[in-house]
Amino acid sequence: MSKERKGLKRELQQLSPPDELEAQRRVWPVVRGAFEGREPVSWHRRNVRPLALAAAAVVVGAAALSAPGRAFVGDVRDAIGEDAPAPKPKRVLASLPTGGTLLVNSPRGPWIVQPDGSRRLLGRYWEGSWSPRAQHVIVTRAREITAVKPNGVIRWTIGRPRRITGARWSPDGFRVAYLTGTELRVVAGDGTGDKVLRNRVATTPPAWRPGANHQLVFGTVDGQIALAQTDTGVTRWRAPVGEAARQLVWSEDGQRLLALGERYLRIFDAKGTELGVLGLPLGPSGAAFVRKSHRFVLIRWQPATGRSELVLMDAESERGEERSLFSAAGEFETLAVSPNGRWLLVGWVGADQWLFLRLDALRVRAVSNIAEQFGGPRRDRPLSAHFPSSVSWCCPASP
Amino acid sequence: MAAPSREERAWVRGAQSGSASALEALFREHWPRAHRAAYLVVQDGAAAEDIAQEAFLAAVRNLDRFDRRRPFGPWLHRIVVNRAIDWARARALRREAGEPLFGEWDGDTEDNVSLGNPIPEDIAGGLRSLSPEHRAVVVLRYLLDYTPGEIAELLDLPRGTVNSRLRRGLDHLEEIIDRRRP
Repeated sequence: MSKERKGLKRELQQLSPPDELEAQRRVWPVVRGAFEGREPVSWHRRNVRPLALAAAAVVVGAAALSAPGRAFVGDVRDAIGEDAPAPKPKRVLASLPTGGTLLVNSPRGPWIVQPDGSRRLLGRYWEGSWSPRAQHVIVTRAREITAVKPNGVIRWTIGRPRRITGARWSPDGFRVAYLTGTELRVVAGDGTGDKVLRNRVATTPPAWRPGANHQLVFGTVDGQIALAQTDTGVTRWRAPVGEAARQLVWSEDGQRLLALGERYLRIFDAKGTELGVLGLPLGPSGAAFVRKSHRFVLIRWQPATGRSELVLMDAESERGEERSLFSAAGEFETLAVSPNGRWLLVGWVGADQWLFLRLDALRVRAVSNIAEQFGGPRRDRPLSAHFPSSVSWCCPASP
Repeated sequence: MAAPSREERAWVRGAQSGSASALEALFREHWPRAHRAAYLVVQDGAAAEDIAQEAFLAAVRNLDRFDRRRPFGPWLHRIVVNRAIDWARARALRREAGEPLFGEWDGDTEDNVSLGNPIPEDIAGGLRSLSPEHRAVVVLRYLLDYTPGEIAELLDLPRGTVNSRLRRGLDHLEEIIDRRRP
């Protein structure tokens, strides 16, 4: 090894995590608890079972090669399910289970997916968001924000000196809010009147309050969220949330707000009063309100088991009983509710699937190969780098 | 990869048979490097602790399936580094305001090493200015001492990609060392 590389090695070895020994002391009881909670496997089971399974696999494999064998294997798989109630997935998204149009943000750019499954890549943009009636999509790429029609025709573009993210169209269509650097800016829906609303904001995408006159909630760099009237610039309330929120979600009537952070979920009413807080483990999460309701679906990661769970909760001070809708090994990352409120789209990253859950009848449909359909060939990158990062399902009728 | 030491094989065998003290020995042996590797890739103390903890929990869950003729470290490091890369990529997409601009990685090109960004003066800053994928190969090579071939196996990457990431990452970091040299 050259002298320079030895120097580099020495310097790397001197970089240590803060609180290194304390971290070790904190983690060992957790690991030991998981170890003591597992079911030990005997030598006989550990060694004989794989051999028996291998022998059985040879027999079943041979049987499955025949036509009756294939049918039998399919029946068994349907009857048992690999992770009940996950169904056998379809390989291609040939249709949506109900009406509406999807806007899918993928590493290749935003896609528009029609109910018959046909899809169109809008262009080499980094992120897109619907206008309220799906007549336009607001897209961003590097330092530009652009309004395009779903057929790709550009209506207007604005350039800024710093990277643009988090663009969102107001529910009445007359305003667009976006982030650039540490500024939160607002522009009219026709691309005119671009102005700064606030400085020193967090990178949390802002969220327009439904049913209100241009009220926008956003995160600040000092660990708060704030609601402002964008035409007058007046702040209506501020509330502390600690570390920056990742996602801000309003209920359809604009009376409940969820602030989802890396380790918490906070529930607020329209006046900024905190109704409740829920601690979350570090990991994938997401939340979406059920239509015409204060109930919401939360993705909850379970680090001890490596599973994700979808839980239905009430956004009230008394949250009532949680209802577990679905759970599976691996990470869920995307939630989108259909315009009629009956279906929930869930991105199951580890399985490379989208699940469509019927909320009122406990039915599940699954489509696999999502990363390849939207992110292109995987090459040598991990699956998560190709899986769509977000989906929105347009457009609910006005409440 | 080197075969496990006799001592390590005994710890794995003991842990598989239910011995908490054997598991503790494995934990004490492997935690510091796993934690440090996660920290160097994600550059966030709390996240590194969570990632290393989750890797150990995954190891505990799969302990019965582990082949004790193989070394424990690479098995653990594969989990740690892949999770750390995923976390760092997700973090880059929702970068908090106020963090240094260098280090921002847009994911557009395979070998983006934030070319054209200002070069920071220390190794920690230099690492931060690499993409998570580049940080991972540098950490595996120079903190955990894996060969490029072993890194390719751990990360499921072609050997050429590992070499290219190592070369670009090291060129960048060595420039920092050179600049400090009197």
